Amino acid sequence: MAVKITDGNFKDKVKDNLQDDFMRGAVSGAQDRLRSRRLENAEELGNWEEWRSHGEEIRQHVLENLDYYLQELSDNVQKLGGHVFFAQTADDANRYIEEVVKKKNAKKIVKSKSMVTEEIGLNAVLEKAGCNVIETDLGEYILQLDEHDPPSHIVAPALHKNKEQIRKVFEEKINYKKSNDPTELARHARETLRNEFLTADVGITGCNFAIAESGSISLVTNEGNARLATTVPKTQITVMGMERIVPTFEELEVLVSLLTRSAVGQKLTSYITVLSGPRREGDADGPEEFHLVIVDNGRSKILGTEFQSVLQCIRCAACINVCPVYRHIGGHSYNSIYPGPIGAVLTPLLAGYDDFKELPYASTLCGACTEACPVKIPLHDLLHKHRQIIVEKEGKAPISEGLMMKAFGIGAASNPLYTTGTKLATKVMKPFMKDKEFISKGPGPLKEWTMIREFPTPKNERFRDWYKNREGGDNK
Amino acid sequence: MKVTLFVTCLVDMFETNVGKATVELLERLGCEIDFPTAQVCCGQPSYNSGYVEHTKAAIKKMIETFEAAEVVVTPSGSCATMFHEYPKILKDEPGWSARARLLAEKTYELTDFIVNVLKVEDVGAKLTGEATYHPSCHMTRLLGIKDAPYTLLSNVEGLEMKPLPYAYNCCGFGGTFSVKMGNISEQMVDEKVDAAISTNAQILVASDGGCIMNIAGRMQRRQVPVKVMHIAEVLNSH
Amino acid sequence: MIQQRAPFIKNIATALGREMNTTKKPERNWKYNPQAKTLTDLSRDELVQVFQKQCSNIHTDYIETTADQLKEVLANRVDLYGGGPVSIWKDERFDTFGLRNLLEEEWPQASIEVNEWNVENGDDNIILAEKANVGITFSDITLAESATVVLFSTGGQGRSVSLLPQTYIAIIPKSTIVPRMTQAAQIISEKVQNGETVPPCINFISGPSNSADIEMNLVVGVHGPIKATYIIVEDR
Repeated sequence: MAVKITDGNFKDKVKDNLQDDFMRGAVSGAQDRLRSRRLENAEELGNWEEWRSHGEEIRQHVLENLDYYLQELSDNVQKLGGHVFFAQTADDANRYIEEVVKKKNAKKIVKSKSMVTEEIGLNAVLEKAGCNVIETDLGEYILQLDEHDPPSHIVAPALHKNKEQIRKVFEEKINYKKSNDPTELARHARETLRNEFLTADVGITGCNFAIAESGSISLVTNEGNARLATTVPKTQITVMGMERIVPTFEELEVLVSLLTRSAVGQKLTSYITVLSGPRREGDADGPEEFHLVIVDNGRSKILGTEFQSVLQCIRCAACINVCPVYRHIGGHSYNSIYPGPIGAVLTPLLAGYDDFKELPYASTLCGACTEACPVKIPLHDLLHKHRQIIVEKEGKAPISEGLMMKAFGIGAASNPLYTTGTKLATKVMKPFMKDKEFISKGPGPLKEWTMIREFPTPKNERFRDWYKNREGGDNK
Repeated sequence: MKVTLFVTCLVDMFETNVGKATVELLERLGCEIDFPTAQVCCGQPSYNSGYVEHTKAAIKKMIETFEAAEVVVTPSGSCATMFHEYPKILKDEPGWSARARLLAEKTYELTDFIVNVLKVEDVGAKLTGEATYHPSCHMTRLLGIKDAPYTLLSNVEGLEMKPLPYAYNCCGFGGTFSVKMGNISEQMVDEKVDAAISTNAQILVASDGGCIMNIAGRMQRRQVPVKVMHIAEVLNSH
Repeated sequence: MIQQRAPFIKNIATALGREMNTTKKPERNWKYNPQAKTLTDLSRDELVQVFQKQCSNIHTDYIETTADQLKEVLANRVDLYGGGPVSIWKDERFDTFGLRNLLEEEWPQASIEVNEWNVENGDDNIILAEKANVGITFSDITLAESATVVLFSTGGQGRSVSLLPQTYIAIIPKSTIVPRMTQAAQIISEKVQNGETVPPCINFISGPSNSADIEMNLVVGVHGPIKATYIIVEDR
């Protein structure tokens, strides 16, 4: 899997997903619960806006000084005895990781949840190299067992699946004989995966934030799978997007506090693990060898542009959890491993407009995403910037829309045209008014509107006519 | 106080009553109304669709039209938001950016103006019944006006306000979104309509013409017996 | 070894539209500092109350005791969790709190196997921890706000002890309590600035492992321990 999940277009996917009642119920239920938990935990701090502003300034500072912090980070990892590989592209990253795995003669690899490894399509590469790659986050594990069903949410990847579907997958694939009770299902996964952890040759993780001052990486989880993947296997490979870095532990703390509250409404998750290099002399667990792979894969093309702020993202999914469009169409409609508002901004930047030009329009620009973002990414503004580029630079807007908008622009800018136009509206619309109040089957662009709703008929007396004729009115 | 009215194109063409109510309400509160007839549309439909350059002529036209005003008041959170966007849109045009900023600074959404400029929280309105309020996204999130409508509505004699479940979710209008992504918009507006029905209120109040057209249009189609009113109409009832 | 660094970082500087800087530490002049005001006006006892309250949110049992009674409390807890095997850190604090007799005499006599982390046993440490019913460690720093124990793992303080056993008990000397993660970060950051090397693994643990990946239903106990108890003890 890379950024793009499958072939097929946005409109068809939306149509299919709108039919999926279970998914829609699950998504709206999850949104409601996560929203209120996030708000409760944010309000409790009493000065959430200040926290957001601090998060924003930290992320902006890091992006502005990324060269320095990457140098410091990699120097410190090396001092601790770790290896660092800078990967310009997905291929570079995959090739390096494959080499390490081959050198270790590794057959079994356990992975903890990582968006960037999804982005570069690492699993497919390792599987092709003959490795058994096992996802260990419960949600990711379920999806992997179910013939690599793609994730639909960046924090809760299997949100679209119900427990009965999961029971069936477990029955078919891992010899499960019990009920569809989530606790029983999870316990079975624990036992099955425990065995895998104990016999794995390599553990692969993502990285929530790397800490430049100490050469550390941090992992934020609830299940403990990232801890297992970095405690038992002899080799650890951590893959990080190049922007996921903080100067010191003090900024780590702020961003982790923002992340856990925004993602799952927890003060902290069960495990925040900070790892600094391989195990030391005198240690009996932890990896003997540590590799950090720092991935660009298109990010530097975003730096220095009007989209730079999207790199502030800490992958909490708060924007996804409040988006009223995601609420109905679910994650798979976006056809990107990054769904929702952040996905609609990031995906065209990483994977191009050709396949994803509809995404910036899958928003009412309601601003719920911007309001929820803990590091103040102006997401709805960035969606709007995409639209401007699609229209003005890429020329990918429909021609009919272009003509209409141009006509609108001219009409709106000219008072005589506007006045005549609005006056004519009543006459033009007359044949379509089945009664006086509403139009139910409109012509041209109104057709789409009236497929769903009535359209009000333009009034014979416009407001400006009333104002002009009104007694005591100011006739200008 | 002399108030220059920006009535918005939707009200001008489709919702004449909202314009009338706005004028009468402001006059009752002691304002003198001025309506420059050169006003057109704020430019949002084409701007939000990405046609930024095409929209600039309309924007400049509006800046000229309202240049002489002391304060500009509009019965739409969304169109007021658009005026507040003007300085950003014209930031690279030296002659215009300062003029855009002046307009943004003196432009108020109607309820914000009444509560925060006129300092009136009870406009003396009377309306019997139960109502629920849909807060529009641009007004609450982008303009930051959250409390003013509720304050004014809570003081309408005879009106009992019912909280609207999931009030924070967009109604699915979104300008061209409503036709470009019709099937998604339909689900969104249906959820909004269902939420309104669940309150058992007879009236749904909103502050934006776009939301009203969308929600009322869907209610008409589904034959839902809830009356949709603009907040100016409610506040002008007596 | 560091590979492919120079062109990668140079490309970033180019994108940022300036000369590459890898030597001059950027100044961090933060305008905001909300964490400095969060819970910092509470006394130690008030912090303990905050901590206790949060325990119920994270499905963790809370016990407060004195140093004299710690042994009995700990023995009861292990019984409640179903006895041994018990996996523990190699840690002087077990002696400070008078637990050595329990570990080396009483439990073995009661057929409760105790495995102390021993570097010389290599990989067997992991196997013994994996077999254990209860893992016991001390807390190095304790965060009131989130009811979190911070464990510095290296040498005799193996990572596995708080992770692989079925259940987990943290012994928390009252003096280790600070308001929140802010203070822990300051303590660690200070070490770094003083030229100390941070331990290879630091864990911030808040309760047992859990997941909500199946229909958003909370399941307590996934890959890490299924149950957890915190014992707060007056310092000795």
